[in-house]
Amino acid sequence: MAILPVDRVRIIAKRKDRKKILEFLQHESVIDVKDTSYEQDQVFKNEDTATEVTTFNKNSEICEDALRILNYYAPEKSSLFSSLEGRKTIDASVFNEETTKHDELMKVAYKIQSLNKQIEENKAGIPRIENNRTALEPWMGLDIPIDFKGTKKTRAFIGILPGKETVESVQTRISELCPQITGVDVEIVNAMASQTCLYVLCLKKDAGEVEAALRTMNFARPVKSEIVPAEMMDALSIEEKTLMEEIKEDEEKIKALAPKREALKLMSDYYKMRSDKYEVIHELGQSERVFILEGFIVQKDEKDLEEKLNENFELSLEFIKPAEDEEVPVKLKNNAFAAPLESVVESFSLPGKGDIDPSFISALFYYILFGFMFSDAGYGLILTIACGTLLLRFKNMEPGTKKFFGLFLGCGIGTTIMGVLFGSFFADTIPVVARTFFGKEITLWHWMDPNTDPMGVLRLAFAVGIIHIFVGLGAKAYMNIKAHDVWSAICDTVFWWFLIGGLVALLLSSATACSMFGMSKAALPVAAGEIAKYVAIIGAVGIVLTGGRDSKNWGVRIGRGLYSLYGVSSYLGDILSYSRLLALGLATGMIAQVFNMMGAMAGGGIVGAIFFIIIFVIGHTLNFGINVLGAYVHTNRLTYVEFFGKFYEGEGKAFKPFTMNTKYLKVKNGETIKAKKESAK
Amino acid sequence: MGIALAIAGAALAALLAGIGSAMGVGRAGQAASGVVTEDPSKFGKVLLLELLPGTQGIYGLIIAFVTLMRIGVIGGTINADMSWQLGLQYLFACLPMAIVGLISAIQQANVSVSTISLISKRGDQLAKAMTLPAMVETYAILALLISFLAVVGLPTA
Repeated sequence: MAILPVDRVRIIAKRKDRKKILEFLQHESVIDVKDTSYEQDQVFKNEDTATEVTTFNKNSEICEDALRILNYYAPEKSSLFSSLEGRKTIDASVFNEETTKHDELMKVAYKIQSLNKQIEENKAGIPRIENNRTALEPWMGLDIPIDFKGTKKTRAFIGILPGKETVESVQTRISELCPQITGVDVEIVNAMASQTCLYVLCLKKDAGEVEAALRTMNFARPVKSEIVPAEMMDALSIEEKTLMEEIKEDEEKIKALAPKREALKLMSDYYKMRSDKYEVIHELGQSERVFILEGFIVQKDEKDLEEKLNENFELSLEFIKPAEDEEVPVKLKNNAFAAPLESVVESFSLPGKGDIDPSFISALFYYILFGFMFSDAGYGLILTIACGTLLLRFKNMEPGTKKFFGLFLGCGIGTTIMGVLFGSFFADTIPVVARTFFGKEITLWHWMDPNTDPMGVLRLAFAVGIIHIFVGLGAKAYMNIKAHDVWSAICDTVFWWFLIGGLVALLLSSATACSMFGMSKAALPVAAGEIAKYVAIIGAVGIVLTGGRDSKNWGVRIGRGLYSLYGVSSYLGDILSYSRLLALGLATGMIAQVFNMMGAMAGGGIVGAIFFIIIFVIGHTLNFGINVLGAYVHTNRLTYVEFFGKFYEGEGKAFKPFTMNTKYLKVKNGETIKAKKESAK
Repeated sequence: MGIALAIAGAALAALLAGIGSAMGVGRAGQAASGVVTEDPSKFGKVLLLELLPGTQGIYGLIIAFVTLMRIGVIGGTINADMSWQLGLQYLFACLPMAIVGLISAIQQANVSVSTISLISKRGDQLAKAMTLPAMVETYAILALLISFLAVVGLPTA
């Protein structure tokens, strides 16, 4: 339930052991490698590994690309939940043996890529053939090649005229344009509204003039081809068929490589691991024979690492307490109740220097705040059962996914509790069903009903908000006391508790104020109000006197104190912000009621029941989706703004151990390291 | 006259908040489909962000629904002789949700659009990208609350 203490670690070892030590550390994944303190000099230098890192990353990407192609042509059978199963575990010996085949496997990856490229090129060829075919279509009636120039004595013109023409119209036009020429033979191959394909034959001596005449008529030459159109068409068909066959063949070839999928996944991981390793090598300080590795380690891992390293290698290992003001990477550790909140904390910011781990105290409120807004026992049960089943079913889930479902499991339980308190089970489904189909009136037990007593629930929402804010202020005091600054704890927390608490109590003792919140009489006796007044005054005076305590000048100090006191208005805003608990709770309930009412419109009987069930399923699914999103987002907001705002700074850096940052496989470290040492001797 | 004014209030809540949400979700949806073009795997994430400005329409619907129930249009008998004063009171009670719903949905969509582009570059920052638009929604929720309390506080017709 805290931030784990972290030490600096320094390993000095022989360079010839570098590979083995790094691989060992990558398996153990307990050190966050950082070149922290030593400086480069004549002896120790950083090695530039950018080329290796790039090469390995590229190889990994090639494998990924090959896998993507493979998955396209030979999709892997995967269930809806396959992403929840987590990475497979593989024994190190198996892994190492597979990786000796890396050249061969890379060839497979390259082959898949080149086959895919060929398929794509072939696929691009098909539209081209289609185009040629369409262009050739009108010429099918022609029994000579389109390029035909004529015989010894004659000259042929084969081409296209715009618009629809007939033999007569063309001949008339030609004789108009060159009246002295006779004996021009015109044949229409194909006539459409947009164009006319025709064949014109004349004597060779007249060729020039006929050509000029045709040109004035906008005569255009078609595609070139030395073959008769019909034959050309066949050739195109054959070409297309060949392309199709090639595509099919290549696809089959890719499909045949599907059994290599697992090996390719392994390769992708292997290169990713090597690239990570070389990134670490860059961080090392290296002399001719020795290398230094520096980084951070969580204290509880120290003993184990020391034993294992000393057992296997000859090296010097040092653990160093980090300096007071040193920024160390942060690793959180919480029990099952609070661990899911780590992801919420992480997405705000990890605890920085002097912060506490807020996961646990956030968890105390998070599930209840969520439940308040989602506020339906039926929805809560669905959420609880769904998340619970998934968590039980998929034990090997990745930590992030596990936290996600853990969070919603907690939220589901919170929702169920709040739903029971508000008497809401799929909103008013039970009473509606009882009334519509059985003619009975049933009311569910409830502690408070947001529909009939919204002011009561609003008071509850504000009460929860005030406690939330007080605990936030308390966390600030705890941090101050931990830093041996009791005075700050009094000034920044206790005075505020007095002021806010006093003001709230004062309001509760006034009948007018209470009637504003729908209460018939004052909640507290007048005497309590008198005491509360003085408590509030002590708080206010304290804040004015100490709010600006950084300043030596009393004038400035009081001025800044007054400004701090003005901050009370922001507390008002913070508390009012908790009214969203009621509003979102109402939203869930009201929409659900609307759907139930719609469902009941068809009345009783079988038809009515079927209609009700359909509307019920669709409506509640929709309502569930919308409101689970709203409740999640606004619980985060209350946690981040109203709660964290009181004490939490953040800006810590995550502890990122040098590890097997793989996508598909987890390599289990067997006895391999030991065996290696034996053989080295 | 009174009943007409009250129905006008309910209609305005549903209308304006609905229009705001329609515009908002539309705008966010355009940005979202742009991201999906580049990276289809981000569909789930951008869908959540697209939906965020959609809640105002639902809040408007709630106020319209509660109002119609209170004045007997749904599940009751319509009181045709409702005084114009009471009708006007219902109309005013609906206005916070109507107007704030319209404007906050559009403003929230602007934030959603920017956080959708945030997701396109940093896919891992979903929680942050969802929290930013939610800040705008606060005011729609406050308006919902005020309209709700006001409508419920008025005498039934």
